[in-house]
Formats: sequence, structure tokens, C-alpha cells
Amino acid sequence: MIYIIAALDAEARALVDYYQLKRDSALPYTLYTNERIILLVSGMGKSNALMAVSALLGWKIPKNTDILINIGICGAPAAYEIGEALLIHQIQDETRRYYPDILYTHSLRESPLTCVDEAQSALHDAPVDMESSAIFQAASRFFKLHQMAFVKIVSDHFAPETVSKEGVVELIRSNLDALDEVCSALEHVQSPDTLYTEDEYKEVERLKSYFTKAQGSALDDALNYFRLKHPTMPLPAYPDIPDSKRERKRALEELIAHLTA
Amino acid sequence: MKNSSHTSPPKLFSHLYIERSVLDHPQTQMIRAKFGESQVIVIDHYKEVFNRPSQSFAAQSRSKKLILARKEGKFLHEGSQYSDGFDHKQFFYASSVMGCLYDCDYCYLQGLYPSANTVLFVNLEEAFVQLLPYLGEDTLVATSYDTDTLAIESLTHQTREWLAFAEDHKHLHLEIRTKSANIKSLKSIAPNPRVTLAWTLSPQEIIDVYEHATPSFEKRLSAVEEAIALGWKVRLCVDPVIYTEHFDSLYPKLIDQIFETIDPNAIEHLTLGSFRMSQNHLRALKKLRRSDVAFYPYAVRDEMVTYPERIENTILETLLSKALVYLPQERIRTWQRQL
Ligand code: SF4
Repeated sequence: MIYIIAALDAEARALVDYYQLKRDSALPYTLYTNERIILLVSGMGKSNALMAVSALLGWKIPKNTDILINIGICGAPAAYEIGEALLIHQIQDETRRYYPDILYTHSLRESPLTCVDEAQSALHDAPVDMESSAIFQAASRFFKLHQMAFVKIVSDHFAPETVSKEGVVELIRSNLDALDEVCSALEHVQSPDTLYTEDEYKEVERLKSYFTKAQGSALDDALNYFRLKHPTMPLPAYPDIPDSKRERKRALEELIAHLTA
Repeated sequence: MKNSSHTSPPKLFSHLYIERSVLDHPQTQMIRAKFGESQVIVIDHYKEVFNRPSQSFAAQSRSKKLILARKEGKFLHEGSQYSDGFDHKQFFYASSVMGCLYDCDYCYLQGLYPSANTVLFVNLEEAFVQLLPYLGEDTLVATSYDTDTLAIESLTHQTREWLAFAEDHKHLHLEIRTKSANIKSLKSIAPNPRVTLAWTLSPQEIIDVYEHATPSFEKRLSAVEEAIALGWKVRLCVDPVIYTEHFDSLYPKLIDQIFETIDPNAIEHLTLGSFRMSQNHLRALKKLRRSDVAFYPYAVRDEMVTYPERIENTILETLLSKALVYLPQERIRTWQRQL
């Protein structure tokens, strides 16, 4: 699943069209979904972003193969071209800094980003936005750092009054390729950290229920050993579990010896 | 959604995180020149990147980043019980690097550090200042203890600096342990009899499965051969031995292969040891669920995990009897748990 977070309706509009998303009323936030994507419109500013992202992720807890992308506009120094898409490698919020892991190749320009409280007319050294640090904070409780990306599109050179709604829609629309590129690169570096299929997992849990906690964890280790050592082999069939405590212990020892042989 | 073809991982050290305080350090500048295409991200302290919560060691291992920092405090630490101090009066290991370019499944660094990235402390000159008070007596310093310094020598030149420092201090002995095949730095320096190069050698089948990103057995062996020819003192380590189903054939064959190429009289010692680790590090390794090595049913004693005694004995007996074909007992060192 791809979680996309935008602050403004105007930022979301091009995405809704492009990905053919449908309005979803599951949360008291503006939400659009299809079978692969959840797009959340968080509202402007850090506290809106923090609350909306926390609500979304608490409601739909991400898996370890899911990704999160924050896309939105940013003000930037004149060295950045208007309309340019930036991939953020450092978010500064006053004295705190946050770093998404960029473990993939891409063609975007990388940049630091400063997260501020209000739209900025004053000049800054780096591009600025108003939500990224809060999104990072909320999302990093649910995602690993390599599952998140922050894509910002330069909308103005610290002249927010020049940015119109239509302009924002167009800025996002003209950078959908960049967004696609980051999505697919990001998805590519995710790998599941579960070793078992759901059925296998249920079976393992059932088997463990016959044993004490310590015995169960020894069995877990042996099964993990087997799966990692022979990734393509099915888990061996389990023996019948005897009733007597002593026999059960012996059956477990035999099973562990077999799995780790 | 369109699919783009970004399947290749980024170049090594695609990102350089550099502490503001070392931006102007000569070594920083040298590294920046070498990695001209890498992104440079200025940070205040290495911990804000290296110690971040929610990192994935496994994912980062496929795309390592470099952090350049200034070490505050001690560069030198006393040697640990898991290692051999070779009976020197004082034994330290120097930690000028955190993390390793290589990625061995059995490496305790995975349990020690929250990140697979590498931190390079560029102010090595301060390690030498800290070491000076000890150099009135026989002192061994392992310079490649929590890492493989030779693996990144072309980048850091730290081994070169250690060797130059050791030349001037007659009580200082160095041990440089490595799996690297890059010995370029040794070629321009006269061999120092107080420096031991210790190569870890493993069967190629073990390298393929457990020692990711390391040079092949053949390349390591050529480096050993060359270092000996240059006149350096060399120790060979078949340590840690990983017990697998083909252990009986893999490891004896390894010892034969080594001594088909290397004259046994040309090496100082052969070190043999089976896998061992502190229980805490193993717990952390298990959480990563990356390799079967973490899940073997080891025996635990005094917070240390080892193979069960029977297997540990089999490993040592098998290797020892093979090694004795080539070397006298006194030149073979074995690591075995203290009973
Ligand atoms: S070479 Fe040594 S330090 Fe590096 S990963 Fe392998 S075991 Fe760890």
C-alpha cells in the first residue's frame, strides 16, 4: 500500500485524477483511496499534519512493505527552479533534524528542507514547507526510515502570495512522473521481514501452544533457522504432540534437532 | 502507475553526512574529492544520523552511507575476553571507525549498532596523542577491531597513518585484522616486524553464504601471498568457523588450499576458533532475522553463546589435526571457552 500525504486540496486534485482515487469517508479527514493507494489531505501546518497522519496510521496500520510519500509544494531560494521536484534528505525544524533514508537511485535533485510554522516571505537558505517535520514524526512510529520519502515541488521564491490554487494543481500534475519514479524506487527497496506465510504462521502458533514459553521460543529459533537456511523448502510436517510432559519435551528436542541438523 | 526501472542500488556512499566541525579536515576534503558525485549533508553530530530510531540494518546494508565525524573522548578501549591479546602487556583496540563495509551474517556489529552505515572519525591524530602515555611499555593495538579498516583504506589512509606512527614507537605492536584483498597501502612502506597482518580466511562456500560483499577466498589468499613476499608478518585466522552440514569437508579442504599456496614457515600463527558471541549481541541479531547463524541452538555459558561442547570440540579437533599436518602446535592458537 502507498500512503500519500498532501497538505492541500489543490495538491491532492491532480493525484486523485491521475490515480483514479475515490473519496473515502472512513475518517474525519479528506481521504481518497483505490486498491493500492491511500491519499490523505492533512490540512496546512504541523499540528494538522501530526494529528491527521497519526489518525490515518492508527486506523490503517502499515505493513513493513508499505511506503509513505509526502508530496507538496515548497518555497525555495532562487537557486531552485520553480516547478522543480526535490527529494528531501534532511528536514530541519528549529534545532531538530530528521533524515529519511534514501536507499535507491533516482533522478531528482536532493535537498534539505526547513519546516516552518507560517508561509514564508523572508529568505531562507533552504526550501521551506510547513508539514514535513510533523509528518516525519508521526510516520516514523509506523514506518522505518527507508519506507518514507518527501517530495517537494518548488512553487515560489519566498513569495507565497504568487501561488494560486490552479498553479498548485498544475505544479503537481507536471511532476507526476517524478512521483511515480520515487514510488516505484521506494517500493523496490522494501522487503518483507516475515519468514512465514499466514498459514504457516498459524500452524507454528498452534504447535507452540502445546509448549511452555521457553520451549516455544526454542522452537521458534529452530524454525527460523530452518527457514533461513533452506528458504525454498517447506517446513517439515509436525509430529503428533504427546500428552505426557516428559514425552512432549522429548518430541520437542527431536523436532529441534531435525530442524537444525 | 508506471513502473520505472530503478532496480540498481545507489553507488557506495551515495550520501556523505558530514559533521560541521570536520568539514575542513584534510581527510574530509580528500573523501569529498573522491566521492564528488555523492550528496553532502551537513550535520551537527554523527549520532543524529547513526543513532536514529526506526532504521533498518538489513535495508541499509544494501546501500551504505558514510558519516564523517570527530571522535570525542576515548579512541582506545581495553581488549575483550572474546579476543586474543597475544600476551602483550597492554592490549587495546582503537575505534576510529564504526560499522563495516562488509556485511557478515555472524558479525556482532549488527547487534551493537542501530545502523549499517559507517562512521569514520577523521581526527585520528588524537588517537595517537591518547596512546602516547602507554608507549613506555609493550603495547598491542588492534586497529581493525570493530570494523575492517583495510577494506576502506583507499578512502581513509588510516592504516598508512598507523604504520607511520608505529615506525616511530618501538614498544608499539599493531594487529590489523582483515578480509580485504587491498594491500596497496602496504607496498609503499617498509615492513615493520612489530606489525601483524591477520587475515580471516573462510571456505568460498561460507563466504558466498555468510560473508557478503567480502573478497573471494582466492583474492584474500593472493593478498596474503603478496604481503608475505613484501616481508610483512602474517597471521592467518580460520575464525569464526561456522558449523554447517559440510563442515567436515569444507574446512579441512580450506586448510589444504591455504598451505598449497602459502609456505607454513612464512606465517606467524594460525588461529582457529568456532563462532561465539555475547548473548546480548545474539539477541539483537535474532531480531534482525537475517541469517540462520543467529538461530542455531547454541549453548550459553556466562552470557556467551558457543556451539554445544560436543560440536565445539569436533570443530577444533578436526581443524587442529589438519593444521598440525602443516604447523607445529606452538604456532597454532585456538579459541576455546574456559571451562
Ligand atoms: S569483516 Fe569483520 S567487522 Fe566487517 S562485517 Fe565482517 S565480521 Fe563484521
